[in-house]
Amino acid sequence: MKKAYIGIDKKLARWGWIFITPSLLFFSLFSFYPILNAAYTSFFRKNILSLKPPTFTGLKNYIYLLKSPDFWNSIRATFVFTLGTFIPLVVFSLLLAVMILLVNKKSQKYLQLAYYAPAVLSSVVAAVIWLSIFNPRGLGNQWLNFFMNTPGIDHQWLANSFMVQFSTILVYFWKYIGYFVVIFIAGLSAIPGSLYEAARIDGADNWQSFWRITFPLLQPTVVLVSVMSMLQCLKTFSTQYLFVQSGSPQAPINVITLNIYNTGIRDHQIGRSSAMSIILFLIMLFFTWFQFKASKADSVSY
Amino acid sequence: MKKTLIVLLSLLALGLPVFATGVQEETGPVTITFWTHEDPNRTALEDRYISEFEASHPDVTINRVTNSSSKMPELLLTAFAANEGPHIFNTQIEDGYAYIANGRVAPVNPEAVGFQSTEALTESYVDGVLNAVSEDGQVYGLPLELTNWAPYLNKRIFRDAGLDPEKDIPKTWEDMVAVSQRMVLREGEIITRRGFDFRYPYYLVSMVPMVEQLGGQLVSDDGKTAIVGDQAWLKFLQFMADWGPNGLNLGSPTYQNARKLFNADNNDMGMAMSGLYQAGRIRADNPEFYDSGDWMVIPYPQFKDAVKEVASAYYGHFYMVNGQKSEREQKIAWEFIAYMLSHSEEYLTEVGLVQPTKQLMASETYANIPYADVFAADMAKGNIVYYAENSAKIQELIKEAVEGVMLSGIAPEKALASLKVKAQEVLDQE
Amino acid sequence: MIRTRLDSPGKSTLSPISILIHLLLLGALIFTLIPILFMFTASMMPRKDILKMPYRWIPQGFEVQNFIKAIAGNDGSFIFIRNYINSILVSGIVTFSTVLLASLTGYGLAKFKFKGRNFVFLAIMATMMIPFEAIMIPLYLVTTKLHLQNSYGGLTLPFLVNAFGVFMMRQYLLPFPDEFLDATRIDGAGEIRIFWHVVLPNCAPAIATLSILTFRSQWDNLLWPLLIAQSEKMKTLPLYIVKFAAEKYTDEGAMMAVAVLASIPMLVLFFTMSNYFVSGASVFSSRKG
Repeated sequence: MKKAYIGIDKKLARWGWIFITPSLLFFSLFSFYPILNAAYTSFFRKNILSLKPPTFTGLKNYIYLLKSPDFWNSIRATFVFTLGTFIPLVVFSLLLAVMILLVNKKSQKYLQLAYYAPAVLSSVVAAVIWLSIFNPRGLGNQWLNFFMNTPGIDHQWLANSFMVQFSTILVYFWKYIGYFVVIFIAGLSAIPGSLYEAARIDGADNWQSFWRITFPLLQPTVVLVSVMSMLQCLKTFSTQYLFVQSGSPQAPINVITLNIYNTGIRDHQIGRSSAMSIILFLIMLFFTWFQFKASKADSVSY
Repeated sequence: MKKTLIVLLSLLALGLPVFATGVQEETGPVTITFWTHEDPNRTALEDRYISEFEASHPDVTINRVTNSSSKMPELLLTAFAANEGPHIFNTQIEDGYAYIANGRVAPVNPEAVGFQSTEALTESYVDGVLNAVSEDGQVYGLPLELTNWAPYLNKRIFRDAGLDPEKDIPKTWEDMVAVSQRMVLREGEIITRRGFDFRYPYYLVSMVPMVEQLGGQLVSDDGKTAIVGDQAWLKFLQFMADWGPNGLNLGSPTYQNARKLFNADNNDMGMAMSGLYQAGRIRADNPEFYDSGDWMVIPYPQFKDAVKEVASAYYGHFYMVNGQKSEREQKIAWEFIAYMLSHSEEYLTEVGLVQPTKQLMASETYANIPYADVFAADMAKGNIVYYAENSAKIQELIKEAVEGVMLSGIAPEKALASLKVKAQEVLDQE
Repeated sequence: MIRTRLDSPGKSTLSPISILIHLLLLGALIFTLIPILFMFTASMMPRKDILKMPYRWIPQGFEVQNFIKAIAGNDGSFIFIRNYINSILVSGIVTFSTVLLASLTGYGLAKFKFKGRNFVFLAIMATMMIPFEAIMIPLYLVTTKLHLQNSYGGLTLPFLVNAFGVFMMRQYLLPFPDEFLDATRIDGAGEIRIFWHVVLPNCAPAIATLSILTFRSQWDNLLWPLLIAQSEKMKTLPLYIVKFAAEKYTDEGAMMAVAVLASIPMLVLFFTMSNYFVSGASVFSSRKG
């Protein structure tokens, strides 16, 4: 009997492998191999066009990058964008989700749909629309001047080094806010109503029950949403790329991915650009680990 | 077990629809891929040459692929990095030189292009134009076009600003500021009509000559020092700072592309910098404006206290052939290029592209092209654009410096100091 | 439900808090919808109206010319239609294979115990952290080695499954009762049969969500088709838009008409299948993962 049982376990384990094999083959060829290839290349001085074999330089590419103000500027630009985008995204989407649940049910559905709509448009379309809005003669200046009562001022949405960072953040925020609102609403709806009943009997007011019940129970969702949006932000490319193509100064929004692309493609330095990719990969890995670690430390059970 | 594996494999195969392109044979039919930048007027011409060439060479199929000129360098690079470059391609010499330097392109086969020897081929072109693609007695490219830029001027807007297109033409950069100030219209700070504006991302072609007028240099004559002549560079950077939104507010890189607005003739662009080919594009985009004769071309301005008369740099788009293809394919590729280039007069009259053979430059056709004399006179005063393996990076550094002073309020001294350090580093890496 | 508790301030409809909440929701609504409204209205206007300051939101008629230019293209080749079909085809292939492979893998990782399972899961998750720009050139090498450049195969190959899809399906299947699977096994059903007839039908909401998300992100893809699609006939919609924008830079009306045409299928898909967005999103709020 026991023997037969082990047999079933073994059989099931084998089936597990069978189910994952197609994907595993795929990831090996299209993810693991290229990233290992990049890791390997990062130890060489290699010109992308050269037919000569690359020369091994050890850690020189990494040392160069750590000494390069240009690279540190990219780290800065990436972090400004990431923090400037994902913190407001998480905060505002949570806030909007809570507020949506306070209005009547019919409006709830329409509001969710309306907030989500930008996420449906493609990045290229979004860029075309926003570049029109940020045009000096476009809606951006008109509206800001209307609200600030500053007629005729050009706020230089795409030109000024502060504004252009803000503009990229705004486009991203606009595009993804609805996505996270929907996720938070799903999370909020899953919290059992009985808990609130109990809290009310204990005499807690709305505010207290939000902080004592809703927030802790929502924490796994918050962590997940944060990690996902943070990874997305660290990988941002197309908005900055299209902005620079249409005349924005590069330095303020020269995020790491853009630097990787330019160093590899424009400057032909594929070894150095691979080293940058590996550094970005490690940064993402660290922050993901860190967020999960931090969230586990004070997880609540119920 | 076996059965399930087969099912799984076929499921995987379902997800991998294979519509592979055919593998080419060494003999028999040949497909030549030809990558070039988008230019609607030229496409019609070259499509015709392709069908004519295919008719006379039944074994050959030419596959012409176009992409925007700004995307071309990166597409080529990725393809060559994978050793899958096209047979024929063209790109500006600033971007194309790296292909010669790295041995990725094949030398011209003089017989295939109808010459006895490389010397005879070189001899048929205007002196010096093949220098940029010559190395060790071999020629690695033939010019699709050799182009310099000069300001196009909308006479109606000029008159509208109370200026006389006969007398008030801006000859100096100082004049350019003055007439632009007359022509510019704004609502508050927001410009609704610009007098003139620069062609921003193209600093090497259109703005480095301004520095050279003042006695500065991008790279010293011995090629060892970058950014020579501090005073010239400072004056140029100060000029750009004054031009931009924090100075006299005459234009900026984030306003719409000047030369495209110019064609539309919507009363929002007085002057724009472009090449001889622009006339053809005006004719295609806006025939009414083209026929009105309300546009003209004026020489590239000089600084008032210029120490040297320098006009816009000129760049070459050279057709090159992939050195990794078989001998036979290379030969056919050069034959096809020669066939296209045998229509120089049509390229000039239909698209406004100058293929600088001695024969064409001396022809009646060339002399009859409107404003060809302005461009020719300017070209004699210019030099070829800076080309090297690192020219794209150098251009990016100049862009950073100019944008710094124009848009971010960085002092010219500071922008220059940083430009010098970075450009030197790029130069030293060679 | 949370509503029963937090609803109370909303009931007296005119309380300051309620007004504030409604105002904030309205503000967010304006923020998200204005750019979309701008796209639709500008697509109907001639250029001179679009650049009027201040912008007038109500078009004075309908500029059909914008849409004719958008579809005919700069050269009158109508390649737009072919590029449109390519986008639908490529996104469709990728969606189909992603759903299939992600459910297979998600099921394998969620419901089977085997050595190295967690390692495999983490390794797959780690691929989310690889920036596409970093692996672009090796991917191009693999694709051209298979002679798949300028083909549907090449356009779809690197996207046939992704870590996010695997993660989503695994999360969705984790709470699926093991007893139920064991019961069907005792009834003698084969593993493939169980997957196909028991597991997949139960994943419908997650599959619908994953389909929409995959289709959308592929509809969006710019960089890879730029490298791989070399002939006009193989280009996809984002490439058409970028090219159109470069050529018709000064014709905002036609530009917005292209944007409208490119967005319509996604908007229709979204508004007709909107329930799946909401139900699928609950995957992320499962409290064990």
